[in-house]
Amino acid sequence: MEKKFEKFTFEKRLKSMLKVDLRRMFTSPFFYILVGIAFAVPVLILVMTTMMEGSVSVNPQTGLPSEPMEGFDFVWQILGSVSGSQSDMQAGAMTMDLVSMCNINMMFFAIAVLVCVFIGDDFKSGFAKNLFTVRSKKTDYVISKTAVCFLGSAVVFIAFFIGAVIGGGIAQLPFTMDGFNGANLVFCMLSKILLTPVFVSIFTLMSVCAKQKTWLSICLSLGTGMLLFMMIPSLTPLNATPVHAFGCLVGSVAFAVGLGAISNIVLNKTSLV
Amino acid sequence: MNAIEIRNLTKNFGDKQALKGLNMTVPVGSIYGFIGENGSGKSTTEKIICGLIHPNGGEVKLFGRDYKDADVRAKVGVLIETPACFPNLTVWNNLRLQAENLSLKNPDDEIRKILKLVRMEGAAGNKFKNCSLGMKQRIGIAMALLGNPDLLVLDEPINGLDADGMRIMREVLVDLTKKGATVVVSSHILGELEKIATHYGIVRGGKMIKEMTSEELERSCRTFVAIKARDLTKTKTVLLGKYGRVEEDEKGYLRVYEAKKPEEVVIYLYENGITVNEIKTDKIGLEEYYIDLMGEKGGR
Repeated sequence: MEKKFEKFTFEKRLKSMLKVDLRRMFTSPFFYILVGIAFAVPVLILVMTTMMEGSVSVNPQTGLPSEPMEGFDFVWQILGSVSGSQSDMQAGAMTMDLVSMCNINMMFFAIAVLVCVFIGDDFKSGFAKNLFTVRSKKTDYVISKTAVCFLGSAVVFIAFFIGAVIGGGIAQLPFTMDGFNGANLVFCMLSKILLTPVFVSIFTLMSVCAKQKTWLSICLSLGTGMLLFMMIPSLTPLNATPVHAFGCLVGSVAFAVGLGAISNIVLNKTSLV
Repeated sequence: MNAIEIRNLTKNFGDKQALKGLNMTVPVGSIYGFIGENGSGKSTTEKIICGLIHPNGGEVKLFGRDYKDADVRAKVGVLIETPACFPNLTVWNNLRLQAENLSLKNPDDEIRKILKLVRMEGAAGNKFKNCSLGMKQRIGIAMALLGNPDLLVLDEPINGLDADGMRIMREVLVDLTKKGATVVVSSHILGELEKIATHYGIVRGGKMIKEMTSEELERSCRTFVAIKARDLTKTKTVLLGKYGRVEEDEKGYLRVYEAKKPEEVVIYLYENGITVNEIKTDKIGLEEYYIDLMGEKGGR
């Protein structure tokens, strides 16, 4: 007579996996360190650049003065640029000036580290043995990782936003909105947050490929993330509209489904220990 | 019904063939001692059973279903190689994660019960990385036991355990099988395994060379007459004149394997001018049986 087993349905598996991942993510000191960094970075950038604005350094070899240091004109510049503006063109052209490089988009690299460490720890600690012994199908694992890392990333972006507001206040920079309004700002932030699953699913794929080799997954994630990094300013400008947010959402769903399916195949076809 | 049924299992790692058509049958409710040399394929087989690596060929069934069946796999507990815990989390939090992983209804109660079972109640708040080797092993066992698994796969579970830990382990496993669970244990500490195993599987070079019950082992283990005499070398030479196999053991006894009764050995030695100081009959244990079997199969 065949033994009866309780049904371990997809919903049940996903729920249990989400519980594991949420507990891990939001009790991990590493996550809070990263959130702290996300909060401190804009404060430091805004305060330091305002203090050093206009300062000129002299090249000791040539004796020639450098270009005067440019700072931020207003606080929201640290979140992005207005589509079609001068700074947007510069960001698109990947110029290496401070304003176009030191902004919220740097956080996508921090998220790469977060995702790689989070998934890599499953394999390094061996906990993956417990996870995969009781779940022969890996879909729930991939969905849960993507969803929880997306949530974690959203917290990182919000921390950066709060840091920008506080940093701007300390640096006494204007909160002016030239060419956009409050609603655009909200959609800009929403677009950035909704764009994270694109990156999270790439980083998840790299992490399940590299498994316990966290350093390798970080290198691969940063490398592949770099290819898409240039698109972020144009997809999430300061004058973003619901269309931008919707576009990011659609792109994210497409990437998450496509790359999630590949991650699933990788987990199903390769050794897990 | 069998808890595990494996037919013609093969697994290659690059050019190396780790499993060469392994067959294995583990009845429900048994404690299956899985024995073999290092690199014989024990861990590979266990990892395949748990779905952690994929076989190249063959069939694996758990409780009559395919080993990938999600419902069956939800009732498998595992401890393979090292305890699978996050080093920076406390023992309690590690167990809590596993409880969530298994969707346990009363996780806190279950964890308390399991910690009590492995006598680790006092260490619940310790970080896993700060635990001793033996403690870590007990936590690994606790992890595997959470959720009352129907099948428990343990790879070298008694490594690092003290005498008390081994006793607890034995009690827990026997208790578990009384409730209908099945346990597969691989260990090199055969003396410990012999105390609890109801079935054995001996694997070599990726193939199962012998499967038997503990009763069959009992019958297969040859009896011998062990004697002590003043001059062992001379005694051995004399005994070899009549008996084909005479060996000296580590305790200084001469083992005569083909003697039917102890009296005949005493009389034979007396007739040859040797006085026996001590004599007894005994049986070879699992360890010696295993070594003998390995010797035979290896062509020694």
